[in-house]
Amino acid sequence: MFYSIRHVTRFRYNAPVREAVMELRMQPRSEGPQALRSFQIATNPRAQLYAYTDHLGNAVYHFNMLREHEDLHIEAQAVVEIGQMRPLPEHLDALEWGRYNAFNLSDDHFDMLEPSKFARPSPELEAFMRIADLSKPEGDPLTALKTLQRTIYDSFEYQSGVTEVNSPIEVALEQRRGVCQDFAHIMTAIGRVWRIPCRYVSGYLYHKGSRDRSTADATHAWVEAYLPSLGWVGFDPTNNIMACERHIRAAVGRDYSDVPPTRGTYKGGADSELSIAVSLEPTQAPVRHEDFLKVTRPMTSPTPTPSMPERLYHQQQQQQQ
Amino acid sequence: MQHEAFANTEDFGGPDIVAGPGRVSRPGADAPYTGYELGKPYDEMFTREGKARAPYAALDSRLSTLPLEELNRRQQACEQSFLHQGITFTVYNDNRATERIIPTDLLPRIVTAKEWDRIERGLTQRILALNLFLRDIYGDSRVLKDGVVPRSMIYGSKHYRREMRGLPVPHGAYVNICGSDLVRNEAGDFVVLEDNLRVPSGVSYMLANRDAVRRAFPAVFRSMGVRPIEHYPLELLATLRSLVPFHEDVSIAILTPGVFNSAYFEHAFLARQMGVELVEGHDLLVNDNVVYTRTTSGLKRIDVIYRRIDDDFVDPLIFREDSALGVPGLFNAYRAGNVMIANALGTGVADDKAVYAYVPRLIRYYLAEEPILDNVETFLCREEKSLSHVLANLDKLVVKAVSESGGYGMLVGPHASQAEREDFAQKIKSDPENYIAQPTIQLSTAPTFIGSGVEARHVDLRPFILHGAETKIVPGALTRVALKRGSLVVNSSQGGGSKDTWVLSQ
Repeated sequence: MFYSIRHVTRFRYNAPVREAVMELRMQPRSEGPQALRSFQIATNPRAQLYAYTDHLGNAVYHFNMLREHEDLHIEAQAVVEIGQMRPLPEHLDALEWGRYNAFNLSDDHFDMLEPSKFARPSPELEAFMRIADLSKPEGDPLTALKTLQRTIYDSFEYQSGVTEVNSPIEVALEQRRGVCQDFAHIMTAIGRVWRIPCRYVSGYLYHKGSRDRSTADATHAWVEAYLPSLGWVGFDPTNNIMACERHIRAAVGRDYSDVPPTRGTYKGGADSELSIAVSLEPTQAPVRHEDFLKVTRPMTSPTPTPSMPERLYHQQQQQQQ
Repeated sequence: MQHEAFANTEDFGGPDIVAGPGRVSRPGADAPYTGYELGKPYDEMFTREGKARAPYAALDSRLSTLPLEELNRRQQACEQSFLHQGITFTVYNDNRATERIIPTDLLPRIVTAKEWDRIERGLTQRILALNLFLRDIYGDSRVLKDGVVPRSMIYGSKHYRREMRGLPVPHGAYVNICGSDLVRNEAGDFVVLEDNLRVPSGVSYMLANRDAVRRAFPAVFRSMGVRPIEHYPLELLATLRSLVPFHEDVSIAILTPGVFNSAYFEHAFLARQMGVELVEGHDLLVNDNVVYTRTTSGLKRIDVIYRRIDDDFVDPLIFREDSALGVPGLFNAYRAGNVMIANALGTGVADDKAVYAYVPRLIRYYLAEEPILDNVETFLCREEKSLSHVLANLDKLVVKAVSESGGYGMLVGPHASQAEREDFAQKIKSDPENYIAQPTIQLSTAPTFIGSGVEARHVDLRPFILHGAETKIVPGALTRVALKRGSLVVNSSQGGGSKDTWVLSQ
């Protein structure tokens, strides 16, 4: 299955700003059943892009813009192939809990056990866990996480505008409403209280023909929990589904603050207005490089003309003959 | 307005003659030592029997012959010297005044060559181990896999910078400038109280004290073979230059939080002494991953930044987004290797007061050596057994929050009221991992001039270690002194003063 993703971000300022610096985390990852087939970023005004891989394996692009501007347009386009997902068992055995040991866990797992900025325990979280009967995990870790996912789905209403991008989970916990980011943070925090390594996934979800609660044509967020005998397994508490071939992963982190699609600063006393558009469409398999070469016919065009010094060399040789 | 801080080298006293062995002044009995109390703590100047120790003999005989008025006059001259140079320290949480002249004491503290040798070797060993530890936890994490240090202590530390993982630093030197606090225990041995691996301050006082006290006792100073420290700024410059692989046109800047910072004087002083730029965050900008400073003649590239701001504030793009002190994009320029930052980011994870307790183990683990300098016995409240011991003995212990510094967030049990102790016990119980406790250490006492005579006051010792391509320790230190009688808190942020420190060449 191939998807073509177009992710447009536009910042508009009500007065000129300068010295903008920005980081982008929007390149889909290439691992497991997901493979990145092409990726481009264009900015307007144009900027020189730099890139690095962060310690979690996310591709980060960054750029700066010294000169004054009132409008910044960033367009990322990707083609992603999602292969066959590995079927998950219905449940695991109870021994799975015992497999959370130093032998099976590495540093990256341990890091996803510690509380982080947005995914951390609080009295409000503990109260929710008590009321929702989540204080202790029931059954094996996979079953417990599925219960957790369903409980969050049942306990919260999906509504945008209640929480903001920097809201702590307490806002959603009090209102019992929120969006995918809040649900992912709550599930991550509870998973970690249970001593299951959990991480936050930022990405996209293909909605067509489904009954998903999350907003179509937007970025999405869900959770990955580590199960020693299965590896990282994706849970989408917003839609009460396991991550599947419709989920496209862009970046993973401890919580949202590790992986915002855009993060930046600028100078100038202006307010900014952010608009985002995402389109996600199934697409034809892009022509692969090696296939592309195969269809070219034997060369009939003239042989390349040598460059000036070469020609001079040839011409001088001719004169000697 | 004096432009060269230490241009005036005129002596404060008249001719200052070292007297031969004359009459013996006993502490607690004779002037100027009538108020001098010798107690349980080790005294730097006097033996338990009240006899002046050999290195202090010359100073003792001079003090015994100078009238009180003359001592007061020299003390005033010392303070004037500080005042003229604007050497001040800002005390936060003080309603009366924020800017104070750091009290300086007339009398030097003396460290013998033998004592210094051990300190130098011990601190060199320690900084090597700490840098290897930092390289490890930002690299393979062997020390965590081997279970030498608990993972949660590192991953749970607010000073652990995940952004530094896998990022190489020149010479593997994360900590380029370190100020370690040593104290002398009752047996007279130096032990390490804490390591300051982030942005240690105080080196300008080390230099300013020397300048003033040398002029207060010129003849005593000359007669004793005191090792020079004036080359510290040059050594610092060499350390910073060693962070880049090229040697010509290395452009260096000191990044200060600004004039309201408690140590601004020091930043300006070091910049002037080294002949490098002094910049605030808004003076710098990053373009195409390269750091520039704005000058009247356009942008000028910066290769090395000696930053005197905390990690959190270095780059609002990566760390605290509300930071007005940092430079957006600086960290990515650093990641790309286009600028070097000293100290490297993320060093604070290793001077955490909980990690401190593990340093002797780290020395054995990385260097297969026994620690030359001991730690102070430390109870980690994260360990249940220690926690109950700490709670039961709060009146005997000093409790510290692991990630605070400068004497903030601590309880000195024996000096606290019952209510303060109970209050603090609640704090510890609600967050045990955040606290450590140590027995109240009887810091050694040293002779201190207090106006009406010379009395014993508690002191510590902060030598400054430079670590780049090589390790250098200038033979001197900042001796901090608790000016209140009996007080053990020497922090300048808590009203402590400082003394000149004379390291003898033999």
